[in-house]
Amino acid sequence: MEGQVQLESLVKNYRDVVAVEGIDLEMPPGEFFTMVGPSGCGKTTTLRMIAGFERPTSGRILLDGVDVAHVPPHRRNVNTVFQSYALFPHLSVADNVAFGLKYHKASKAERKQKVAEILELVQLTGFERRKPHELSGGQQQRVALARALVLRPRVLLLDEPLGALDARLRKDPQVELKALQSEVGVTFIFVTHDQEEALTMSDRIAVMNDGHVEQAGPPQAVYEDPETLFVADFLGVSNLISAEATGSEGNCCTLRVAERTLRAEQGAISTRGDVKAMIRPERVRVEPAGTEGENRMPGLVEHAVFLGGFRELRVRMLGGSLIKAIVPNDGTPLGYEEGDSLTLHLPQDALRVLAGSPAAATDEES
Amino acid sequence: MRWLRNSWGRPRFLPAITIVYILWSIVPVALAVLFAFNDGRSRTSWQGFSMRWFTGETGSVLHDPSLQSALEHTLILAVICVAVAVPLGVTLALGLQRWRGPGSGAVNTLMLLPLVTPELVMGVALLLLFLQIFNGWGLGTTAQAIGQVTFAVSYVVVIVRGRLVTIGREYEEAAADLGAPFRDRLMRVILPLLAPAILASAGIVFALSIDDFVITQYLSAGADTNTVSMLLYATARGAPSPALNALATITLVITLVTLALAYLVYRRFAGAGSAAEAATLGEV
Repeated sequence: MEGQVQLESLVKNYRDVVAVEGIDLEMPPGEFFTMVGPSGCGKTTTLRMIAGFERPTSGRILLDGVDVAHVPPHRRNVNTVFQSYALFPHLSVADNVAFGLKYHKASKAERKQKVAEILELVQLTGFERRKPHELSGGQQQRVALARALVLRPRVLLLDEPLGALDARLRKDPQVELKALQSEVGVTFIFVTHDQEEALTMSDRIAVMNDGHVEQAGPPQAVYEDPETLFVADFLGVSNLISAEATGSEGNCCTLRVAERTLRAEQGAISTRGDVKAMIRPERVRVEPAGTEGENRMPGLVEHAVFLGGFRELRVRMLGGSLIKAIVPNDGTPLGYEEGDSLTLHLPQDALRVLAGSPAAATDEES
Repeated sequence: MRWLRNSWGRPRFLPAITIVYILWSIVPVALAVLFAFNDGRSRTSWQGFSMRWFTGETGSVLHDPSLQSALEHTLILAVICVAVAVPLGVTLALGLQRWRGPGSGAVNTLMLLPLVTPELVMGVALLLLFLQIFNGWGLGTTAQAIGQVTFAVSYVVVIVRGRLVTIGREYEEAAADLGAPFRDRLMRVILPLLAPAILASAGIVFALSIDDFVITQYLSAGADTNTVSMLLYATARGAPSPALNALATITLVITLVTLALAYLVYRRFAGAGSAAEAATLGEV
């Protein structure tokens, strides 16, 4: 299968500024791959290097095993959907879509047929003669997709193509885009700063920060098993607890928090010293005050927020950490108000020790 | 003066000042045009409407060889100036837009120099150049055309670069991404998108050339390289005749029609979204 992209120690410097510092990534053929991260993390620069608009300072970009790092963009079998779509304003929809076909060996009739086919695929039949400014944002986005896909690229690069759409309109395009990718089977490399978008659509994601990849893998794995503090914090909502890792019992790490002991099964359990422990709000259990048992901590409710389908409790836990707990709205009264005390149950299979804190890093090296 | 006090709406003195200014700037021109149609030699007292200074038997633009040759020469110079300055300016603008590195800043500033250099200084400098260094070419049409192109190019560069900045690099990148080599990116994307700016600058260069006096005067060589502006200057005080008003009127109409055409084509090509640029052109 065609469409595999491998990045090998890819580096891009602008004068003294390092935009991308040594990325290694495998993007398997036919998959929906997403690079996600805050602005300035290097994701767009990486995408532009794959497209050929930027030349890497060093490193290799392998497209199906061939290094294309220094091939100009018009000779790469890779196409881009730009953030602003960059539809040619002086050309009609059909002429925009047919623009690149001039460089493919095809007769006029073939070209016409290809344009008609791809416009049908993106549900824009009948819009051939319109100019880009006569289309809605969503339609423009589909023209941009059609213009790139009609060339049957091995890889399609998408630079936040949903960013220009109204947030309320974005859910549908997310689903449509994923469906389109499955249908055409082309490798999609998608760039976004929206973690929800990344988790919804991708077969595989790479979380980027400060010019490097923090963690890559299937979205569920990255969400469930964040390896670093940054990933835990960036994907979804995380509760972070400062603790001291003192030893291990079986496959658990013992953590000391405010003179109490917690056991954590997940993450860097062999770490010792000052660490951060992390737990997702949906995994925190709320129990009546005074409940005793493993991994229980007393706390005081600071806020109880009604969010429709569920309720969020913000609890100040013994030791000072603020813990968010999600309680589903099952019709029963919540039973806790601001100022109430309760017990938090942090199940050991949901509690994770994070590498990435300085203490953990030195430990790993030794 | 009660109508001036309008506490709720916009202050009325602003439109009042604008109207006074417009009248002040239009009235002299209107008077000059009016007396081009005077049925008499006077340029101060109205003696009835006539076309005699345009098409009459004696002393009219149509029948006075010196007026006719001036008009012809003016138009020839304007056409040469547009034909040379516009392609040159577009090329320079494209080049400068891309040039990042040592020296680009200095060149960018230098490109603007002809816009701020007093024309007299430039005229004298060009005269010395043609007399001392390029004395093989001598003065006359070639020298006049080169002189006009020299300062007109800056206007083209400024207008086209403005448009290039608005367009951004994305369309060009998109074209490259779709497989277009540089030549096609230029012909299929950049030039069509620049068309409004190119037309606008052509209109402006044409008008500048017709209007130019100082440089054209310095680099002229005798009566057959006289332009309308030179003729007007030379005879305005010495031998006044409404035929000069007629000549000026013709030049004015040509200039206005050129600018109006450029403006209309610009609006048509640029479509929505470039109304601001169209307005800038309108101001010129």
